[in-house]
Amino acid sequence: MSKRYKSKKFLVKTRYIILAVILIILAGGLVLLPKHIANEGIKPELFVKNAISTERFISTDALADRLVNQDPSILLIDTRSEKEFNKFSLPNAINIPLENLLDDDYIDYLDQDTYDVILFSNDSFYADQAWMIGNRLGFKNMYVLKGGLNEWFHTIINPKYPDETMPKSAFELYSFRKAAGMYFGVGVIDPNAKSETLKKVTTKKAPKKVTPKPKKKKRVPEGGC
Amino acid sequence: MGPLIPNGLIPIEWNFIVAILIGIAFGYIMEATGFSSSRKLAGIFYGYDFAVLKVFFTAAVVAVIGLYYLDYLNFLDISQLYVQPTYLWAAIIGGMIMGVGFLAGGFCPGTSLCAVAIGKIDGMIFTVGLMIGIFIFSESFSTLEPFFESSNLGHITLVDTLSMSPYWIILIITIIAVLAFAFSDWVRSKIKKVFY
Repeated sequence: MSKRYKSKKFLVKTRYIILAVILIILAGGLVLLPKHIANEGIKPELFVKNAISTERFISTDALADRLVNQDPSILLIDTRSEKEFNKFSLPNAINIPLENLLDDDYIDYLDQDTYDVILFSNDSFYADQAWMIGNRLGFKNMYVLKGGLNEWFHTIINPKYPDETMPKSAFELYSFRKAAGMYFGVGVIDPNAKSETLKKVTTKKAPKKVTPKPKKKKRVPEGGC
Repeated sequence: MGPLIPNGLIPIEWNFIVAILIGIAFGYIMEATGFSSSRKLAGIFYGYDFAVLKVFFTAAVVAVIGLYYLDYLNFLDISQLYVQPTYLWAAIIGGMIMGVGFLAGGFCPGTSLCAVAIGKIDGMIFTVGLMIGIFIFSESFSTLEPFFESSNLGHITLVDTLSMSPYWIILIITIIAVLAFAFSDWVRSKIKKVFY
Protein backbone atom coordinates (compact mmCIF):
# COMPACT_ATOMS: atom_id res chain seq x y z
CA MET A 1 0.00 0.00 0.00
CA SER A 2 1.37 3.33 -0.97
CA LYS A 3 1.65 6.11 1.54
CA ARG A 4 -0.91 8.19 -0.34
CA TYR A 5 -3.46 5.43 -0.27
CA LYS A 6 -2.92 5.02 3.45
CA SER A 7 -3.52 8.68 4.20
CA LYS A 8 -6.58 8.68 1.97
CA LYS A 9 -7.96 5.67 3.78
CA PHE A 10 -7.36 7.40 7.11
CA LEU A 11 -9.22 10.50 5.94
CA VAL A 12 -12.18 8.48 4.70
CA LYS A 13 -12.35 6.50 7.91
CA THR A 14 -12.18 9.51 10.17
CA ARG A 15 -14.03 12.06 8.06
CA TYR A 16 -17.00 12.40 10.38
CA ILE A 17 -14.74 12.74 13.41
CA ILE A 18 -12.77 15.47 11.64
CA LEU A 19 -15.97 17.32 10.70
CA ALA A 20 -17.30 17.05 14.26
CA VAL A 21 -14.01 18.36 15.64
CA ILE A 22 -14.12 21.33 13.22
CA LEU A 23 -17.67 22.13 14.33
CA ILE A 24 -16.73 22.03 18.01
CA ILE A 25 -13.59 24.12 17.41
CA LEU A 26 -15.67 26.76 15.60
CA ALA A 27 -18.25 26.83 18.39
CA GLY A 28 -15.49 26.94 21.00
CA GLY A 29 -13.91 29.81 19.10
CA LEU A 30 -17.02 31.88 19.74
CA VAL A 31 -16.62 31.30 23.48
CA LEU A 32 -12.92 32.11 23.47
CA LEU A 33 -13.06 35.20 21.24
CA PRO A 34 -12.41 38.44 23.13
CA LYS A 35 -15.73 40.07 23.82
CA HIS A 36 -16.42 43.55 22.60
CA ILE A 37 -19.31 45.71 23.63
CA ALA A 38 -21.54 46.48 20.71
CA ASN A 39 -22.18 50.14 20.06
CA GLU A 40 -25.33 51.43 21.65
CA GLY A 41 -27.47 53.71 19.54
CA ILE A 42 -26.94 54.84 15.98
CA LYS A 43 -24.05 53.90 13.72
CA PRO A 44 -20.88 56.04 14.01
CA GLU A 45 -21.11 57.18 10.36
CA LEU A 46 -24.63 58.47 10.85
CA PHE A 47 -23.65 60.14 14.11
CA VAL A 48 -20.82 62.06 12.43
CA LYS A 49 -23.10 62.99 9.55
CA ASN A 50 -25.69 64.34 11.97
CA ALA A 51 -23.08 66.10 14.07
CA ILE A 52 -21.59 68.11 11.20
CA SER A 53 -25.01 69.06 9.88
CA THR A 54 -26.34 72.41 11.08
CA GLU A 55 -29.95 71.29 10.72
CA ARG A 56 -30.22 70.83 14.46
CA PHE A 57 -29.94 74.56 15.14
CA ILE A 58 -33.05 76.64 15.49
CA SER A 59 -32.67 80.40 15.51
CA THR A 60 -34.00 82.55 18.34
CA ASP A 61 -36.34 84.28 15.88
CA ALA A 62 -37.85 81.01 14.73
CA LEU A 63 -38.27 79.90 18.33
CA ALA A 64 -39.83 83.23 19.35
CA ASP A 65 -42.23 82.96 16.44
CA ARG A 66 -43.31 79.50 17.51
CA LEU A 67 -43.67 80.55 21.14
CA VAL A 68 -45.71 83.64 20.24
CA ASN A 69 -47.97 81.53 18.07
CA GLN A 70 -48.29 79.10 20.97
CA ASP A 71 -47.11 76.15 18.98
CA PRO A 72 -48.18 73.15 21.09
CA SER A 73 -45.61 70.82 19.57
CA ILE A 74 -42.49 72.25 21.18
CA LEU A 75 -40.88 71.16 24.38
CA LEU A 76 -38.28 73.54 25.80
CA ILE A 77 -35.54 71.94 27.81
CA ASP A 78 -33.11 73.98 29.85
CA THR A 79 -29.85 72.06 30.22
CA ARG A 80 -28.29 74.45 32.75
CA SER A 81 -28.09 73.88 36.46
CA GLU A 82 -31.15 74.21 38.64
CA LYS A 83 -29.81 77.40 40.23
CA GLU A 84 -29.49 79.17 36.91
CA PHE A 85 -32.84 77.82 35.81
CA ASN A 86 -34.53 79.34 38.85
CA LYS A 87 -33.02 82.73 38.07
CA PHE A 88 -34.24 82.95 34.53
CA SER A 89 -35.44 80.65 31.83
CA LEU A 90 -37.72 80.58 28.85
CA PRO A 91 -41.47 80.24 29.49
CA ASN A 92 -42.66 76.70 30.17
CA ALA A 93 -39.18 75.29 29.96
CA ILE A 94 -38.32 72.09 31.78
CA ASN A 95 -35.04 71.99 33.64
CA ILE A 96 -32.92 68.91 32.90
CA PRO A 97 -29.32 69.64 33.95
CA LEU A 98 -26.80 68.10 31.57
CA GLU A 99 -25.45 65.68 34.17
CA ASN A 100 -28.98 64.34 34.84
CA LEU A 101 -29.87 64.09 31.17
CA LEU A 102 -30.30 60.33 31.06
CA ASP A 103 -31.99 59.94 34.46
CA ASP A 104 -35.07 57.76 34.45
CA ASP A 105 -37.22 60.74 35.45
CA TYR A 106 -36.27 62.71 32.38
CA ILE A 107 -35.65 60.13 29.68
CA ASP A 108 -39.29 60.12 28.56
CA TYR A 109 -39.07 63.83 27.74
CA LEU A 110 -36.21 63.18 25.35
CA ASP A 111 -36.90 59.74 23.94
CA GLN A 112 -40.23 60.41 22.26
CA ASP A 113 -41.51 61.48 18.88
CA THR A 114 -44.48 63.64 19.80
CA TYR A 115 -42.76 66.98 20.46
CA ASP A 116 -39.93 68.94 18.93
CA VAL A 117 -37.45 69.04 21.77
CA ILE A 118 -35.55 72.33 21.84
CA LEU A 119 -32.47 72.27 24.05
CA PHE A 120 -30.88 75.45 25.29
CA SER A 121 -28.29 76.68 27.74
CA ASN A 122 -26.48 79.98 28.23
CA ASP A 123 -24.55 79.47 25.04
CA SER A 124 -25.32 76.56 22.75
CA PHE A 125 -22.48 74.63 24.37
CA TYR A 126 -24.24 72.50 27.00
CA ALA A 127 -27.29 72.16 24.79
CA ASP A 128 -25.12 70.89 21.97
CA GLN A 129 -23.53 68.34 24.27
CA ALA A 130 -26.97 67.17 25.34
CA TRP A 131 -27.95 66.99 21.69
CA MET A 132 -24.89 64.87 20.90
CA ILE A 133 -25.75 62.40 23.64
CA GLY A 134 -29.38 62.24 22.54
CA ASN A 135 -28.49 61.94 18.88
CA ARG A 136 -26.15 59.07 19.55
CA LEU A 137 -28.88 57.21 21.40
CA GLY A 138 -31.17 57.74 18.43
CA PHE A 139 -33.61 60.23 20.01
CA LYS A 140 -35.73 62.00 17.45
CA ASN A 141 -36.80 65.61 16.85
CA MET A 142 -34.06 67.22 18.93
CA TYR A 143 -33.00 70.79 18.24
CA VAL A 144 -30.54 73.23 19.73
CA LEU A 145 -31.29 76.89 20.24
CA LYS A 146 -28.50 78.58 18.33
CA GLY A 147 -26.53 80.87 20.63
CA GLY A 148 -28.63 79.86 23.60
CA LEU A 149 -29.99 82.33 26.10
CA ASN A 150 -27.28 84.90 25.37
CA GLU A 151 -28.41 85.07 21.78
CA TRP A 152 -32.01 85.13 22.98
CA PHE A 153 -31.18 88.11 25.13
CA HIS A 154 -29.37 89.94 22.34
CA THR A 155 -32.02 89.34 19.71
CA ILE A 156 -35.41 89.03 21.33
CA ILE A 157 -35.12 90.78 24.68
CA ASN A 158 -32.70 93.49 23.67
CA PRO A 159 -32.52 93.69 19.87
CA LYS A 160 -30.13 96.06 18.25
CA TYR A 161 -31.68 98.92 16.33
CA PRO A 162 -30.68 98.50 12.65
CA ASP A 163 -28.57 101.11 10.89
CA GLU A 164 -30.33 103.48 8.59
CA THR A 165 -28.60 102.02 5.57
CA MET A 166 -29.90 98.53 6.28
CA PRO A 167 -32.58 96.92 4.09
CA LYS A 168 -36.24 96.98 4.92
CA SER A 169 -36.17 93.37 6.06
CA ALA A 170 -33.77 94.28 8.86
CA PHE A 171 -36.30 96.79 10.16
CA GLU A 172 -39.10 94.29 9.86
CA LEU A 173 -37.02 91.79 11.80
CA TYR A 174 -36.34 94.46 14.41
CA SER A 175 -40.02 95.22 14.83
CA PHE A 176 -40.82 91.52 15.06
CA ARG A 177 -38.18 91.12 17.73
CA LYS A 178 -39.48 94.12 19.60
CA ALA A 179 -43.00 92.77 19.48
CA ALA A 180 -41.82 89.35 20.54
CA GLY A 181 -39.87 90.96 23.38
CA MET A 182 -43.06 92.65 24.53
CA TYR A 183 -44.84 89.32 24.40
CA PHE A 184 -42.18 87.88 26.68
CA GLY A 185 -42.69 90.67 29.17
CA VAL A 186 -40.25 93.40 28.19
CA GLY A 187 -41.80 96.87 28.52
CA VAL A 188 -42.02 99.33 25.66
CA ILE A 189 -38.75 101.16 25.81
CA ASP A 190 -37.11 103.82 23.77
CA PRO A 191 -34.75 102.10 21.31
CA ASN A 192 -32.00 104.58 22.13
CA ALA A 193 -32.12 103.91 25.84
CA LYS A 194 -28.91 102.45 27.25
CA SER A 195 -30.23 99.78 29.59
CA GLU A 196 -33.36 97.81 29.80
CA THR A 197 -34.90 95.99 32.61
CA LEU A 198 -35.84 92.41 32.34
CA LYS A 199 -38.90 90.96 33.75
CA LYS A 200 -38.79 87.38 34.65
CA VAL A 201 -41.51 85.46 32.97
CA THR A 202 -43.38 83.73 35.68
CA THR A 203 -46.20 82.08 33.83
CA LYS A 204 -46.01 78.48 34.83
CA LYS A 205 -48.14 75.86 33.26
CA ALA A 206 -48.53 72.25 34.19
CA PRO A 207 -45.65 70.23 32.78
CA LYS A 208 -46.34 68.68 29.44
CA LYS A 209 -47.45 65.13 29.37
CA VAL A 210 -45.13 62.94 27.43
CA THR A 211 -46.39 59.70 26.03
CA PRO A 212 -43.63 57.12 25.88
CA LYS A 213 -42.72 56.02 22.41
CA PRO A 214 -44.43 52.76 21.48
CA LYS A 215 -42.05 49.89 20.82
CA LYS A 216 -41.42 49.07 17.20
CA LYS A 217 -43.72 46.38 15.99
CA LYS A 218 -42.08 43.52 14.26
CA ARG A 219 -43.68 42.03 11.25
CA VAL A 220 -44.70 38.45 11.67
CA PRO A 221 -43.16 36.22 9.05
CA GLU A 222 -44.50 32.78 8.51
CA GLY A 223 -42.73 29.61 7.72
CA GLY A 224 -41.38 26.39 9.01
CA CYS A 225 -40.21 23.04 7.93
CA MET B 1 -24.84 45.78 7.73
CA GLY B 2 -27.25 42.85 7.81
CA PRO B 3 -30.00 41.73 7.87
CA LEU B 4 -30.11 42.86 4.26
CA ILE B 5 -33.80 43.54 3.71
CA PRO B 6 -34.71 45.33 7.00
CA ASN B 7 -31.66 47.55 6.61
CA GLY B 8 -32.57 48.46 3.06
CA LEU B 9 -29.54 46.91 1.34
CA ILE B 10 -32.02 44.90 -0.67
CA PRO B 11 -35.28 46.73 -1.41
CA ILE B 12 -38.25 45.27 0.45
CA GLU B 13 -39.95 44.46 -2.86
CA TRP B 14 -37.42 41.67 -3.34
CA ASN B 15 -38.66 39.95 -0.19
CA PHE B 16 -40.80 37.37 -1.92
CA ILE B 17 -38.38 36.80 -4.76
CA VAL B 18 -35.60 36.04 -2.29
CA ALA B 19 -38.02 33.83 -0.36
CA ILE B 20 -38.91 31.91 -3.53
CA LEU B 21 -35.23 31.42 -4.42
CA ILE B 22 -34.41 30.17 -0.92
CA GLY B 23 -37.49 27.94 -1.06
CA ILE B 24 -36.36 26.40 -4.34
CA ALA B 25 -32.90 25.79 -2.91
CA PHE B 26 -34.45 24.26 0.23
CA GLY B 27 -36.67 21.98 -1.82
CA TYR B 28 -33.76 20.94 -4.00
CA ILE B 29 -31.61 20.05 -0.99
CA MET B 30 -34.44 18.09 0.61
CA GLU B 31 -35.03 16.10 -2.55
CA ALA B 32 -31.29 15.59 -3.06
CA THR B 33 -30.89 14.19 0.45
CA GLY B 34 -33.77 11.80 -0.16
CA PHE B 35 -36.18 13.42 2.26
CA SER B 36 -39.06 13.03 -0.15
CA SER B 37 -39.06 9.35 0.75
CA SER B 38 -41.41 8.66 3.63
CA ARG B 39 -39.30 5.63 4.57
CA LYS B 40 -36.36 7.87 5.32
CA LEU B 41 -38.44 10.12 7.55
CA ALA B 42 -40.01 7.24 9.41
CA GLY B 43 -36.53 5.70 9.78
CA ILE B 44 -35.63 8.05 12.61
CA PHE B 45 -38.50 6.61 14.68
CA TYR B 46 -37.68 2.98 13.98
CA GLY B 47 -33.96 3.58 14.28
CA TYR B 48 -32.70 2.42 10.89
CA ASP B 49 -31.98 5.85 9.39
CA PHE B 50 -30.99 9.03 11.22
CA ALA B 51 -30.39 11.23 8.20
CA VAL B 52 -33.21 13.62 9.17
CA LEU B 53 -31.77 14.19 12.63
CA LYS B 54 -28.28 14.67 11.23
CA VAL B 55 -29.27 17.01 8.43
CA PHE B 56 -31.50 19.30 10.48
CA PHE B 57 -29.29 19.35 13.56
CA THR B 58 -26.20 20.06 11.41
CA ALA B 59 -28.08 22.79 9.56
CA ALA B 60 -29.13 24.42 12.83
CA VAL B 61 -25.68 24.26 14.39
CA VAL B 62 -23.86 25.49 11.27
CA ALA B 63 -26.39 28.32 10.88
CA VAL B 64 -26.15 29.47 14.48
CA ILE B 65 -22.34 29.37 14.50
CA GLY B 66 -22.22 31.25 11.19
CA LEU B 67 -24.75 33.86 12.33
CA TYR B 68 -22.86 34.55 15.54
CA TYR B 69 -19.56 34.88 13.70
CA LEU B 70 -21.23 37.34 11.32
CA ASP B 71 -22.60 39.20 14.32
CA TYR B 72 -19.17 39.24 15.95
CA LEU B 73 -17.65 40.69 12.78
CA ASN B 74 -20.44 43.30 12.55
CA PHE B 75 -21.81 41.97 9.28
CA LEU B 76 -25.12 41.20 10.92
CA ASP B 77 -27.11 42.49 13.86
CA ILE B 78 -28.46 39.44 15.68
CA SER B 79 -30.89 41.59 17.67
CA GLN B 80 -32.64 42.59 14.44
CA LEU B 81 -33.52 39.02 13.56
CA TYR B 82 -37.07 37.93 14.11
CA VAL B 83 -37.66 35.44 16.91
CA GLN B 84 -40.83 33.40 16.76
CA PRO B 85 -42.94 33.87 19.90
CA THR B 86 -43.09 30.84 22.19
CA TYR B 87 -46.59 29.49 22.88
CA LEU B 88 -45.38 26.87 25.31
CA TRP B 89 -48.30 24.50 25.83
CA ALA B 90 -49.79 25.11 22.41
CA ALA B 91 -46.42 24.16 20.91
CA ILE B 92 -46.13 21.01 23.03
CA ILE B 93 -49.64 19.78 22.10
CA GLY B 94 -49.20 20.84 18.48
CA GLY B 95 -45.82 19.12 18.35
CA MET B 96 -47.31 15.88 19.60
CA ILE B 97 -50.11 16.01 17.03
CA MET B 98 -47.61 16.80 14.31
CA GLY B 99 -45.33 13.98 15.47
CA VAL B 100 -48.16 11.45 15.15
CA GLY B 101 -49.02 12.80 11.68
CA PHE B 102 -45.35 12.81 10.75
CA LEU B 103 -44.92 9.14 11.60
CA ALA B 104 -48.28 7.98 10.25
CA GLY B 105 -47.91 9.83 6.96
CA GLY B 106 -44.15 9.70 6.62
CA PHE B 107 -43.82 13.34 5.62
CA CYS B 108 -43.35 16.70 7.18
CA PRO B 109 -45.18 19.60 5.50
CA GLY B 110 -42.09 20.60 3.52
CA THR B 111 -41.10 17.14 2.38
CA SER B 112 -44.69 16.30 1.38
CA LEU B 113 -44.56 19.13 -1.16
CA CYS B 114 -41.20 17.77 -2.39
CA ALA B 115 -42.89 14.40 -2.82
CA VAL B 116 -45.74 16.03 -4.75
CA ALA B 117 -43.18 17.71 -7.00
CA ILE B 118 -41.64 14.38 -7.97
CA GLY B 119 -45.07 12.84 -8.49
CA LYS B 120 -45.55 10.65 -5.43
CA ILE B 121 -49.16 9.67 -4.88
CA ASP B 122 -48.76 9.24 -1.11
CA GLY B 123 -47.32 12.76 -0.99
CA MET B 124 -50.36 14.14 -2.80
CA ILE B 125 -52.77 12.40 -0.44
CA PHE B 126 -50.72 13.65 2.52
CA THR B 127 -50.95 17.21 1.17
CA VAL B 128 -54.74 16.93 0.86
CA GLY B 129 -54.84 15.74 4.47
CA LEU B 130 -52.61 18.66 5.41
CA MET B 131 -55.05 21.09 3.80
CA ILE B 132 -57.99 19.45 5.62
CA GLY B 133 -56.07 19.80 8.88
CA ILE B 134 -55.38 23.47 8.20
CA PHE B 135 -59.05 23.98 7.36
CA ILE B 136 -60.28 22.32 10.56
CA PHE B 137 -57.78 24.25 12.68
CA SER B 138 -58.70 27.57 11.06
CA GLU B 139 -62.43 26.98 11.43
CA SER B 140 -62.14 25.98 15.08
CA PHE B 141 -59.58 28.64 15.91
CA SER B 142 -62.07 30.79 17.83
CA THR B 143 -62.68 27.81 20.16
CA LEU B 144 -58.99 26.99 20.48
CA GLU B 145 -57.81 30.58 20.78
CA PRO B 146 -57.98 30.89 24.61
CA PHE B 147 -55.73 27.84 24.95
CA PHE B 148 -53.56 28.90 22.02
CA GLU B 149 -52.90 32.33 23.51
CA SER B 150 -52.74 31.21 27.16
CA SER B 151 -49.05 30.29 27.30
CA ASN B 152 -47.54 33.00 25.13
CA LEU B 153 -44.08 33.64 26.57
CA GLY B 154 -43.19 36.23 23.96
CA HIS B 155 -40.11 36.40 21.75
CA ILE B 156 -37.79 34.46 24.02
CA THR B 157 -34.76 32.32 23.28
CA LEU B 158 -32.58 30.07 25.41
CA VAL B 159 -30.41 33.11 26.12
CA ASP B 160 -33.33 34.72 27.97
CA THR B 161 -34.55 31.54 29.64
CA LEU B 162 -31.19 30.36 30.94
CA SER B 163 -29.68 33.87 31.18
CA MET B 164 -26.43 32.49 29.83
CA SER B 165 -24.02 33.80 27.25
CA PRO B 166 -25.22 32.78 23.77
CA TYR B 167 -21.72 31.56 22.95
CA TRP B 168 -21.75 28.98 25.73
CA ILE B 169 -25.20 27.82 24.66
CA ILE B 170 -23.91 27.37 21.11
CA LEU B 171 -20.94 25.35 22.33
CA ILE B 172 -23.15 23.14 24.49
CA ILE B 173 -25.67 22.62 21.67
CA THR B 174 -22.83 21.75 19.28
CA ILE B 175 -21.48 19.16 21.70
CA ILE B 176 -24.99 17.78 22.18
CA ALA B 177 -25.36 17.57 18.39
CA VAL B 178 -22.10 15.66 17.98
CA LEU B 179 -23.04 13.29 20.81
CA ALA B 180 -26.47 12.80 19.24
CA PHE B 181 -24.82 11.90 15.93
CA ALA B 182 -22.52 9.40 17.61
CA PHE B 183 -25.43 7.94 19.58
CA SER B 184 -27.60 7.64 16.47
CA ASP B 185 -24.78 5.80 14.69
CA TRP B 186 -24.50 3.44 17.63
CA VAL B 187 -28.27 2.81 17.63
CA ARG B 188 -28.19 2.22 13.91
CA SER B 189 -25.46 -0.38 14.25
CA LYS B 190 -27.65 -2.30 16.74
CA ILE B 191 -30.80 -2.24 14.58
CA LYS B 192 -31.43 -4.59 11.72
CA LYS B 193 -30.61 -2.83 8.48
CA VAL B 194 -33.50 -1.89 6.23
CA PHE B 195 -32.86 -1.46 2.54
CA TYR B 196 -35.21 0.65 0.49
